[in-house]
Amino acid sequence: MEGRTLRWCSPLALSLLLVLAGGRASVASAEPLEAAVKATFLYKFIAFVSWPPGAFATADSPFRLCVEGPDPFGELLDRAVAGQRAGGRPIELMRRQQFEKGSGCHLLYGTMPMDRLRGEPVLTVSDADAPGGSAAGTVITFVLQEDRVRFVIDAAAAQGNRLAISSKLMSLAVRP
Amino acid sequence: MTDLAGFWRHTPRLTLLAMAVLLIAGGLMAVASETAYREEKVGDVEVQTRILAATTTAALSFNDRPTAGEYLTALSASPEFEAAGVYDAGGTLFAAYTAPGMKPVPPTAEPPGHHFDDDTLTVSVPVMQDGHHIGSVSLRTELEPFARRAERYVGMALLLAMTLLIVLVLGAAQAALTRANHDLAERARDLSAANRALNAEIAERERVEAALRQSQKMEAMGQLTGGIAHDFNNLLQALSSCLQLVGRRAKEPSILPLLETGQQAIDRGAKLVQQLMAFARHQTLRPEPMDVRDRLLGMADLLTRAIRADITLETQVEPGLWPVEVDPTQFELAILNLAVNARDAMPDGGRLRVTARNRPVDGAGGDLVQVTVSDTGTGMEAEVKARVFEPFFTTKEVGKGSGLGLAQVYGFTRQSSGRVEIDSAPGRGTAVSLFLPRTAKPVAAPAKERSLDTARGAGRRLLLVEDDPIVGSMVAAALDEMGYAVLRAGNAEEALGLLNDGALRIDILFSDVVMPGVMNGIDLAHTARRLRPGLPVVLTTGYSEDIARIDGVRVLPKPYRVGELAELLEAVLATEGAGVRVR
Repeated sequence: MEGRTLRWCSPLALSLLLVLAGGRASVASAEPLEAAVKATFLYKFIAFVSWPPGAFATADSPFRLCVEGPDPFGELLDRAVAGQRAGGRPIELMRRQQFEKGSGCHLLYGTMPMDRLRGEPVLTVSDADAPGGSAAGTVITFVLQEDRVRFVIDAAAAQGNRLAISSKLMSLAVRP
Repeated sequence: MTDLAGFWRHTPRLTLLAMAVLLIAGGLMAVASETAYREEKVGDVEVQTRILAATTTAALSFNDRPTAGEYLTALSASPEFEAAGVYDAGGTLFAAYTAPGMKPVPPTAEPPGHHFDDDTLTVSVPVMQDGHHIGSVSLRTELEPFARRAERYVGMALLLAMTLLIVLVLGAAQAALTRANHDLAERARDLSAANRALNAEIAERERVEAALRQSQKMEAMGQLTGGIAHDFNNLLQALSSCLQLVGRRAKEPSILPLLETGQQAIDRGAKLVQQLMAFARHQTLRPEPMDVRDRLLGMADLLTRAIRADITLETQVEPGLWPVEVDPTQFELAILNLAVNARDAMPDGGRLRVTARNRPVDGAGGDLVQVTVSDTGTGMEAEVKARVFEPFFTTKEVGKGSGLGLAQVYGFTRQSSGRVEIDSAPGRGTAVSLFLPRTAKPVAAPAKERSLDTARGAGRRLLLVEDDPIVGSMVAAALDEMGYAVLRAGNAEEALGLLNDGALRIDILFSDVVMPGVMNGIDLAHTARRLRPGLPVVLTTGYSEDIARIDGVRVLPKPYRVGELAELLEAVLATEGAGVRVR
């Protein structure tokens, strides 16, 4: 299971590397690659973030990854999480136009303002390059720097959502 | 003390052993220390590598090379890190750090673990994320150079050097001690040799002094004895003359036996005086060149008679023996005296050996002829040996010896410019050697008289009765030379025993008058005439012949010469013996 993931991940990373190393690639080819990197990042964030105890109903409740509004990843996200587990929990993908409080999301990607979810144990992620721009009140925001996908972390928002973000992840974050 | 000395003697060996142990221990400690250092280093570096791996997890996950590069660059704070690399899950180099002037890490990941290359240690650990292997980290550090590590062993080396120094010092001390001991032993040997020499010198001096004392004593005794003997000789001479005068004038026959007894006492006294004179070297010697060999061989019969049948006589004379100039009579008397002494020293029989050999000049003095009379008898103690030459010293029973035999030997050899030596020890017998000076004078041809005498008594058997063994032996020898077959008896009783044996042929009886025992010569003559009528009898006495006039008995006055004896015996046999044989 893991071996397969590794084998699946490696060519992705390699291709990403090649693209980035190659300097400015064509936008047409960069788009899906950028989406793929972001889809992978979404999944990888889980390992560096701790949710409060009450975030999960039971010990083996699934980890709910929600995509709100227009889905920029499509198949890519399905593939990124296929067979993966988050802290021993199965990952459950949910796509909706809008998620409200109490929808059970642990990680929510969307471009709409996230203030409504303040206080909820949800890791909110938005994208600065998305058509709608970055959503206010999100914990993590994807940014593109020097043609590379980076992210900004709003520590105050994370604290507001009762999330503990690993210093390792914090050290990778860029300033807005 | 000896234990301690033994311990110190082993010290060099022990020290060597200790040094070897120290060396081995030092080597082992160095190896152990080196191993511990390496293990510790591996542990340290592994921890650092693991920290690095944990730190780079996020950078690897989110493909953040600059951040990973920053983490690695932080290593430059410590100069011991030469190079480091972060590899992704595929083993491709993701980020790297290389200290200035150092070799970069390899482009592909190394398997987890550690390895040493020339003073460097490389540790590789995997980077894990949530149970997944997402890459690896390699960290290369320089090890402390061997030279610096070796410095840590300087203490050990110092200890070794000290030990070596101690060994050297101990060895030198030991060598010095051994040399000192050797010198001491040598000095002790020299000292002991000197002591031995001194002792030998003292012993030699004591011996010489003792010899001198002995010589002085003998000299003093000689003078004393000589003086007394001279005076006594004169007295005896006077007494003898007086008795003779009395004898001529006295008409009373009963006085005659008294006179004879007195004369016999004077004879005995004269004999003693003669022997004393011999010891005192005051006797009148008539030295003449003499062939010792002829003289000794001529004495063989005499000696055989003087000793007993259980004693064998051996005479060895070296060929070409030199002549000596001595009084032959005194020489024979000396040999005879020695033979008689030897006989008495061998009560259970044995061997009497008379040897003569040349003793060429040895250092001072001249050539000598050594005549040795030795026996296998009882020997004598040193105290006896020291005094045997003194006159009247005797170990024999009272009445058996005069104590003048060896005194005569001593006096004779001294007067003949020779010397006497005695070798004797209890149980080893006695050897008396006369050393007489060699003479250059030619030896006169033997007297014709001897050969003429020889045939006279051919075949006749003569019974000789004489109590004095020396006189008896000499007379017997003389008679033997004349051709008589001599039978010997020491007293009248012995003679009667022989006369009573009818099977024993006896042609003539020759007896002394004065003898120990119940019978004297006169009584014996009477009895013999009764037992064997017609048997010619000749008596000898120191007194006048007319005193003992018996029928058919002739008397020979003492002292007589051998020639006189021969003539008388011949005459008696001619007149009476013929009749006996006819009958």
